[in-house]
Amino acid sequence: MTDVFVAAALALLLTMTAGLARVVFGPTPADRMMGVQLLGTTGIAVLLLLGLGFAVPALADVALIFALLAAVSVTALTRRRVGQDRS
Amino acid sequence: MTIAWRLLGFSGLWLILAGWDPASWIIGLPSVLLAAWLYGRLARQARLPSARLTLGFLSFFLIESVHAGTDVARRILRPRMRISPGLQTYRMRLANPTARVVFLDSISLLPGTLSADFVNREEIQVHALDATVDLAPELDDLERRVGRLFGEELKPVGGLHD
Amino acid sequence: MQTLLQALSLFLIGAGVFFFAVGTLGLIRLPDLFSRLHALTKADNLGLGLVIAGLLPWVADPWTALKLVLIWVLVMVSGATGSHLIAKRALRGDGEDLLE
Repeated sequence: MTDVFVAAALALLLTMTAGLARVVFGPTPADRMMGVQLLGTTGIAVLLLLGLGFAVPALADVALIFALLAAVSVTALTRRRVGQDRS
Repeated sequence: MTIAWRLLGFSGLWLILAGWDPASWIIGLPSVLLAAWLYGRLARQARLPSARLTLGFLSFFLIESVHAGTDVARRILRPRMRISPGLQTYRMRLANPTARVVFLDSISLLPGTLSADFVNREEIQVHALDATVDLAPELDDLERRVGRLFGEELKPVGGLHD
Repeated sequence: MQTLLQALSLFLIGAGVFFFAVGTLGLIRLPDLFSRLHALTKADNLGLGLVIAGLLPWVADPWTALKLVLIWVLVMVSGATGSHLIAKRALRGDGEDLLE
């Protein structure tokens, strides 16, 4: 099964690369944020797959932190207002 | 929920997070106590639905999620995407705050709908990938199920309480 | 039995990867912010759920299995709440998110 896990992780990395397009081109901050959210969730799946594929159980904890931080980051974005981060 | 159940629940959560290592309880015990205390402060009057009802709702939710995913996938994969996005307003009848949150999150996770905003305390704006059909029957069914989960019997459409 | 489990796992992980791919495609193809949110919350959370379901038979102990399920639940709740926040901000925010 190890091959399957690693292959699936590689496939997901490809979709992450495609998803980067939305982060790069936006056009609005919320669009970029959604791109980052998708990268985060896909990243969680990749971490879990690799954790089993390479027998590194600690990666599950990394994935857990990803899941927690995703909620914080999206909340932070929605509290932001225009011009706030320009000096 | 009694204090004993709360402590048991958070201890279980800690076991999931940290595993069996006894040394982990040096941090675990204070965390569990703090979490149980905070839970008591934040959710003083919140009542959890029974396990049987939760299981029933969960299976409904899982089946509908798969339904949702295939529906959205089918729309996206067409060369010319079959969508006509738009907003609809829905009058919400649930009174229990926890039930409202569960209802809103379920809307977002189920086929073609997304809870967008409150117009006022009762009315919510729902965004749909296909706004040409009336969403009300589907939302009404979902709201009824969430209401049953929290022991709230909903009056027929138009009936308001609180 | 083992082969059956492998086949099932293979199917679930494959379906999960498929939904991730569809979600990414949706995020790129769909025309406006709200529609993209649809692709994000559904295809994406379902993708993770299926991948995790496919991984469950192969984890070392039940605690890890519960941890994986916990991750899925967290991602779903934060995904639903996050998309609600983004939509709300777009509707009543400063207009920054609705470029015409």
